[in-house]
Amino acid sequence: MPRATSWAFLSPWVLAFGLFGLYPFAFSLFASFTDYSPVRAEGARFVGLANYARALHDPAFWSALGNTAFFVVGTIPLTTALALALALAVQPAFRGRSLFRTGFFLPSVVSVVVLSLVFKGLYAPNGSLNGLLAALHLPTPAWLLDPDTALPAIMAMDVWSASGYYMVIFLAGLEAIPRDLYDAARLEGATARDQLVHITLPLLRPTLLFVLVVNTIRSLQIFAEVFVMTRGGPLHRTTTVVYYLYEQAFYRFDLGYASALAYLLFVLTLALAWLQMRAVGRPAEASA
Amino acid sequence: MSGEAAAVELRATAPPAWGASLGRWLWLGPLLLTMLLPFVWMATISLAPRSGGSFARAAAGPWDLSSYRALFASAHLGRYLLNSAAVATAVVLLNVATAATVGYVLGRRRVPGEKLWTLGIVATLMLPKQVLMVPLYLVMARLHLLDTYAALVLPFAVDAFSIFLVRQYVLGLPIELEEAARVDGASDWAIFRAVVLPLMKPVLAVVAIQSFLTNWNSFLFPLIFVDSDRLRTLPVGLALLSQTEHSVDWSFLMAGSTVASLPVLAVFLLFQRHILSGLLAGAEK
Amino acid sequence: MKRPARWVAAALAAVLSCAPARKPAEEIVFWQFWPAEVVTPLLEEFEREHPGVKVRMEQLTWQSGQEKIVAAVAAGTVPDLCEIGSTWMPRLLAGGRLADWSAGVADLKPALRGWELCTVGDAIYGVPWVLGTRALFFNKTLFARARLDSTRPPETWVDLQRAAAAIQRLGHGVHGCGVQAGERYVLSKKFLPFAWGNGGEILSEDLKHAVFDSPANREALEFYLGLRRVGMIAQQDALDREFKEGRLGLAISGAWLFRQIAKEAPALRYGVALVPRPANERGAHASWAGGEVLVSFNDAKRKQLALELARFLVRPENALALAGAAKSVQPATVGADTSAYYRAHPLEAVFVRQFETARFTPNHPVWGDMEAAIEDEVEQALYDRKSAARAVEDAQARLEELAGKK
Repeated sequence: MPRATSWAFLSPWVLAFGLFGLYPFAFSLFASFTDYSPVRAEGARFVGLANYARALHDPAFWSALGNTAFFVVGTIPLTTALALALALAVQPAFRGRSLFRTGFFLPSVVSVVVLSLVFKGLYAPNGSLNGLLAALHLPTPAWLLDPDTALPAIMAMDVWSASGYYMVIFLAGLEAIPRDLYDAARLEGATARDQLVHITLPLLRPTLLFVLVVNTIRSLQIFAEVFVMTRGGPLHRTTTVVYYLYEQAFYRFDLGYASALAYLLFVLTLALAWLQMRAVGRPAEASA
Repeated sequence: MSGEAAAVELRATAPPAWGASLGRWLWLGPLLLTMLLPFVWMATISLAPRSGGSFARAAAGPWDLSSYRALFASAHLGRYLLNSAAVATAVVLLNVATAATVGYVLGRRRVPGEKLWTLGIVATLMLPKQVLMVPLYLVMARLHLLDTYAALVLPFAVDAFSIFLVRQYVLGLPIELEEAARVDGASDWAIFRAVVLPLMKPVLAVVAIQSFLTNWNSFLFPLIFVDSDRLRTLPVGLALLSQTEHSVDWSFLMAGSTVASLPVLAVFLLFQRHILSGLLAGAEK
Repeated sequence: MKRPARWVAAALAAVLSCAPARKPAEEIVFWQFWPAEVVTPLLEEFEREHPGVKVRMEQLTWQSGQEKIVAAVAAGTVPDLCEIGSTWMPRLLAGGRLADWSAGVADLKPALRGWELCTVGDAIYGVPWVLGTRALFFNKTLFARARLDSTRPPETWVDLQRAAAAIQRLGHGVHGCGVQAGERYVLSKKFLPFAWGNGGEILSEDLKHAVFDSPANREALEFYLGLRRVGMIAQQDALDREFKEGRLGLAISGAWLFRQIAKEAPALRYGVALVPRPANERGAHASWAGGEVLVSFNDAKRKQLALELARFLVRPENALALAGAAKSVQPATVGADTSAYYRAHPLEAVFVRQFETARFTPNHPVWGDMEAAIEDEVEQALYDRKSAARAVEDAQARLEELAGKK
C-alpha cells in the first residue's frame, strides 16, 4: 500500500497549518512567557512562568473557570441528547420531515451576535419572555440582571441554538449505518428500542464522539454571547475564561497574560478531548 | 449494488400517510414552534422601524417595509453580499476538497501515528481565536495579504472541524467496497474518486453547509484583515450600517439579519437532500 | 510628406497638453468610527484645501474597533491618523507609541477643552475632537401628572429624590428615577457624577494614591443606593427604552437619546438638565466626561499630514458638523454653545454646558482596572451584598493596590 498517496492526501493540512497555524500558535506560546503589550513602545520582556503563576493565583481566573465549567457541564449533555433525539425523530420518512429539519436548523443560521441581541431583548425584565410568563401567572425573574439566573439564561439560549446544528451532524452519521442491519434485526424480531440500543447507538459512536468533542471545545470558548448580553456581569457571574482573556488582551492590552490564560484553557481542553476520545472513541461495531 | 439502484429502491417506498405522521407532529410541533419564536420576534421588529427594539410596540404598531427599503437602498449592500458570496463559495469548495482527502486518509488510518495526527489537528481548534488574532494579523501583514480577498479565503481553506467530521464519518464506513476495488487492481486515487467519494456525499454535504455557515457569518477576521469598503463582507458591513456608539438600529439590523440568513438557508436547502440520500441502503449487496 | 508630419506634430502637441505632469497623489490613511456620510464631506473639503492629497478613510465598528487598532499597532501597519476613545487613551499614553504633538497643537490649547484626555505631564499626544457627557433627562408629562413644575427640573439631590418619589407614586408601571444596574463601562459613568459632585475624589493629584474612601463618596453611594426606592434598576438600554416609552420620569443618560427619541418617540415631551448637585450651596453639577481624540503614531508614515488633517477636523465648524449629525457627542470647542446650532437646539446645548462642570477620569495607566474595581464594589452594594461604607472601603483598598503598580 503506497504511503505516498497518504502523505499527499495529508499535505493540504500540513501546508495550511505551516503557513497560518504554526506561527500564531508558537507566537502565543512565546508571548505567554513575556509581558508583551503591543501598545507599549518598549519591547516585550521575558518573565518566565510569571503569567501562569499570576493566573493560578488570580481569583478572577478561577471564577471564570468555574463559570465556564458550569456552562459546559450544563449544556453539553442537554444539547447532545436533544440533537440526537431530534435527528432520530426526523430521519425516518414522514410528511413534513423537511419542514422540521429546516426549522430546527434555523437557529444556527443567524449570526451569534444578532441572536444574542435578540435574546437580550427577550430576556429584558420588561421583555417578551417575562410578558409571557406574567400572562401565565408564573414568576418573572430578572434573567440577565440576576446573578443567579444570568448564566443559566445564556445556557438556555446556547442549547436552543446549538441543538439543530448538531442534529444535522447526527443525521449524516445516521445515514452511514447500512439499512440491512435494521432489516436483519427486524427479521429476528428486534423491537425499535432494541435496534436503537444495539445497532444505532454503537454505530453512531464516531459521530457522537465528534459532537461531544467539538461541542465541548466550542463551549469552553464561549465569548460572543457574554460580550453582547452581559459583559461578564452581574457580579462577574457570566465571565467565561475567553471573555476574561479578551478583556486582558483588548482592554488592558496585556497580550502576555491573555496568551497564558489561553494556553491554560488549551491544556484543559486537550485533556478533556483526550478523555472523551478514550471513553467514547472505541471502534464502531454493532453489538449482537 | 450501485448507489443509484439503492436510491431507486428507497424512492419506491412512499412516505407514510398523514395519520401515521401525526404522532411525530404532536411532540415535534410544539418544539419547533419554541425554536421559531425568536424569529417571529426578529421579523416583527424588522417591520417596525419606530419600535426601538420593543416587541410589544412592534407587534402593536403599524408595520412597514421601510427598513428593508433602506437596506436595499444602501449603496454598499450589494457589494457586501457579493463579497460574502464569493468568499464563502471559495472557502466551501476548498474545505470540501481538503476535508475529503485529509479526513479520508485519517479515517482509514493510512498514516503512522494517525491518532496523534487527529488529536493534533483537533487541537488547533482549542486555542481561542481572540489570542490567535494578533499573530495571524502579523502573518498576513508580512505576507502582504492584508486587504485582499486572499486574506479572507486562504487562512480558512483547510478546516480542522471539517476534517475531523469526515474522519469520524469514514470510520463508520464499511471497508469492504474499497477492498473489493483494490483486489480488482484499482489505484488509490481511483478508489477514492469512484468508490469513496460517492459514499461520502452525506458528510460532505454537511461540510458544505457548515463551512458556508461559519464563513458567511464570520465577523472578527474579515473585520481586521480587510480595511477597504470594497472588500467588506456582509456581517461587518451590517454592523457598520446599523450600530452606532451606544445604540443599535434594531429594525435595520433585524431586516439585515433576515436578509443575511437567506443565502445560508438556501445552501442548507440545497445540500440537505444529500444528507439523507439513502445511498447506503443495500450497499452491502 | 509635410502634411502627415504636421498632423503628427499637432497630434503630439495635443496629447502632451492633455496630460500635464501631475504630482502623484499623497495618500493619508485615517481610521475613525463615524458613518461615512457624515465624515466624507469633511474629508473632501480637506482634499480641496490640500491639492495632491487623498484621504483614505476606513470606518471601524464601535464594538470591536479597538481590536483592529491593537493588531495594527502590533504589526506596525498603523494608520496615519486614528480616532481613539477616551477609554483606551490611558494605556496608549503609557505605552509611548503615540506621536508627540506638543509643538504642533500648542496654539489650539485655549480653543479646545478635553486636553486631559491626551496629555501626560507637559507633553500632548493628540487633539480632542468631540466629547461626550451625561445629563439628566426628565419627562415633562410625568412631571405634570405628579404635580411637579416641569419648568423647574431638580437641581439638588433632595429635589431629585422628591421628584422621583412623586413620580414613583403614580404607579401602573411608571417609575421615578432610573438607577443603573451593574454594567461594565457604564456603571461608573452613572455613579461617579454623584461622587464628584459631592466633592469626592478617586486618586490623589499625583495619581500615586487612592483617596476614594471619604465621607463625600460614602454619602454619594448611600444616596445612589437610596434612589432604588424611588426608581427602577436596569441596564442602560432598558432604562433608555423605559424613558422613551414614557414610563420613566428621570434618567441620567447620554446625548444619543436625542436621535432615538426623535425617531421612536417624537411625541415625547421631555427636558434636559444638568446633573443635580448635593445642595444649593454645596458641591457641583458634576458629570462624567469622555471623548474621542485624534492621534498619530510614531510608526505612521505621514505624521505631518496627519497633524494637518487633525487640525482641520477640530476646527469649530467641522467638529460641529460631526456633533450635529451624530448628536451623541458635542464638539470639544470651547464656547460651542454660542453657535447657531446649539442656540437652535437648547436641549442639546445643556450637554455643552454640562462640560463646564464635568470631570474626566484620571489618566492612570491602569485606570481600566481601577474603574472595574469601583464598578465591582458599587455593584456589590447595589445587590445588597455590602453596605455603602464597606463598598467604598473595599474599593479604596483595591485602588490603593492598583495605584501602587504601574
